Amino acid sequence: MLPRNPSYTNPEPCQHLAEYKLKHGFNGYKAIQKLLVTSPIGKTSVKKPNTKVPRCGFCNGCEGRFYLCLICSSFSCLDHTLLHPQSESGHAVFVDIERTELYCGVCRDQLYDPDFDQVVMSKHSMGVAGGATGNESIGQRLIKRRRLVSGIVGLDLQKSKCRVSTKDLRGKSCYPLGLRGLNNLGSTCYMNSVLQVLLHAPPFRDYFLSGGQRLEACHHRRATDLMCCLLCDVNAIFSAVYSGDRSPYSPAQFLYSWWQHSANLACYEQQDAHEFFISMLDAIHEKEGKTRNGSKGNGDCQCIAHKVFYGLLRSDVTCMACGFTSTTYDPCVDISLNLDTDVSSTEKGKKLTKQNEDGSMSTLSGCLDLFTRPEKLGSDQKLYCQNCRERQDSLKQMSIRKLPLVLSLHVKRFEHSFVKKCSRKIDRYLHFPFSLDMTPYLSSSILRARYGNRNFTFGGDQSDMFSEFEIFAVVTHSGTLESGHYVSFVRVRNQWYRCNDAWITVVDEATVRASQCYMIFYVQKTLHNKANEDLSHVPNSPGRDLFLPIAGCC
Amino acid sequence: MSVPNEENLSSHSQLSSHFFLDLLDSIIVDVASECHRVARLGLDSNLEEEDEELKLSAQARVRVADPSNSNEANGKYVVDIFGQTHPPVANEIFDCMNCGRSIMAGRFAPHLEKCMGKGRKARLKVTRSSTAAQNRYSRGSPSPGSTYSPYSNYSTNSMNRLANGTSTFAGEEHSNGTLES
Repeated sequence: MLPRNPSYTNPEPCQHLAEYKLKHGFNGYKAIQKLLVTSPIGKTSVKKPNTKVPRCGFCNGCEGRFYLCLICSSFSCLDHTLLHPQSESGHAVFVDIERTELYCGVCRDQLYDPDFDQVVMSKHSMGVAGGATGNESIGQRLIKRRRLVSGIVGLDLQKSKCRVSTKDLRGKSCYPLGLRGLNNLGSTCYMNSVLQVLLHAPPFRDYFLSGGQRLEACHHRRATDLMCCLLCDVNAIFSAVYSGDRSPYSPAQFLYSWWQHSANLACYEQQDAHEFFISMLDAIHEKEGKTRNGSKGNGDCQCIAHKVFYGLLRSDVTCMACGFTSTTYDPCVDISLNLDTDVSSTEKGKKLTKQNEDGSMSTLSGCLDLFTRPEKLGSDQKLYCQNCRERQDSLKQMSIRKLPLVLSLHVKRFEHSFVKKCSRKIDRYLHFPFSLDMTPYLSSSILRARYGNRNFTFGGDQSDMFSEFEIFAVVTHSGTLESGHYVSFVRVRNQWYRCNDAWITVVDEATVRASQCYMIFYVQKTLHNKANEDLSHVPNSPGRDLFLPIAGCC
Repeated sequence: MSVPNEENLSSHSQLSSHFFLDLLDSIIVDVASECHRVARLGLDSNLEEEDEELKLSAQARVRVADPSNSNEANGKYVVDIFGQTHPPVANEIFDCMNCGRSIMAGRFAPHLEKCMGKGRKARLKVTRSSTAAQNRYSRGSPSPGSTYSPYSNYSTNSMNRLANGTSTFAGEEHSNGTLES
């Protein structure tokens, strides 16, 4: 038997299906497999008999849907599918020949059986031989990645045990450490908002607060050479913010190092928070990655930027003529999402329900659905199919092969139109949940949906075990494209704080939910819960115990 | 003969309508079958949570849009969570790492931009200097070998000439004499 797929709910088979399998085993399934016809894009149907038009064995009608009896191979229309078990004892299990779905004529319901789904998927594997080979190699890589993921989680959990300094210069002990305003040095709110997020990203924060060995060596070298080191300045910010001093901190040394490192960004103009975030992680990788990895590839990089934010996107391009699929993988430190301005009527039923209920509201799940939707490539992008040996129409579909520890989602609000030669900002409200399940957007889920959600474990891409995420920070933007302001919200022990440059204020959940999000940051739920537990057990001075808020569970 | 034609038209219309309904039923059954599978196998287990989150968002937007329910006094702060207040421009004083001068925090970025010779304003300054140099060179060309002082004299001389309206030799001598004194 196949191992049970954790994301499925295996419903109990009805007694008729159980009796059928007990008496006939897999003979019926194998016989059906020979009759299956697979389309290149994943749909399955049962081949018609010699006569072109199937007819009901009882009423000789040729309208509506037809069902094939798994025992006597007779065709029945829907009405006589219900009568057939009454005249023939035990002939209860049918197959919808249009969709290849099991159907019980007595229970009058569709049935789901993992063994039947495996038979159907095996037919698909026969059809595309190249894909099967690809899956095997992917499986080998999967084992390696699972070890990497486990290692990262274990490593970061250990680091979480390091204690934060309890020094409190001002005696304002009713708020947790890590909350400190950052002075605006002149249109640097883009920098302050991203720095506040990084200061509260659990794995990232724990790394810097525990103090890496490399930083000491780098500090020594810096003292002699008078060089600017970005990592040391990031470390200085962490030390200052978590020191307990509550007066606003000026990240001037960091800005100086940053502008030396990124000459193209050394500019007084207002800049994009997302661009700063991406460049910052690139800089950290550049500084730390070389010393740790010996110039390995991105996938196995051990720098803190990649350990925390690294994810892997999968891109499938499928030939619409023969079904051959070409798969590529791209590393990413965040995911940029287009706003789902139009909910397509071709979406599934539940989306239609949402559409009626919420009017024209954009949701994060809608954006992710849009990101992972199959997209037909234009005529100028025709795929050269290795199987057909010519250019064919093709479908492209994105999915997430590996999720990072901290998931950063970027909403594309700044739109540039090449036709109109102008830029504008999209002020549309976007709903984002505080708890996010990324399972539907994993490669395994996308592949499953492509083949009709069969209960089948794909050889290569098994479900990621850590796909539950909890929000911990939001970067919002207000104003226009030319002149705006970034503000970040951070969640510390389930309390939300607004970080508006030097001003740190308490806000309620409603304010965060109603904000105009530009970047949304989620951390894997295991790390989030762990971080909350550790913070609540930080050693405190006696005077602080009275004011320490109780940390709630997510 | 018109009667059979009418029957044919009616028959064709009914037939196409029948086929259309068949196709529509087929599509509806496909969607229903997909939704049934998703529901039975628990692939939409987060739908209720999503709906609850959507309700929370709707309530949040209503509350924030309601001015009487605003948590912040017109969006302006009085004090932060530490009881501190902050000026519109940060007034902490520190030394610039590049040139060592004392700078106010809120003006550090524009200062550093010029100090490091980077960014927008630095380029503008360079451009202005180039323009000035070019102007000086072009004005100097009518009088080769002239120094700064003769340039000034020349300009004044020209003005005097214009004022007088004459170009006699005696006038020129008079102008020169005036300048010399």
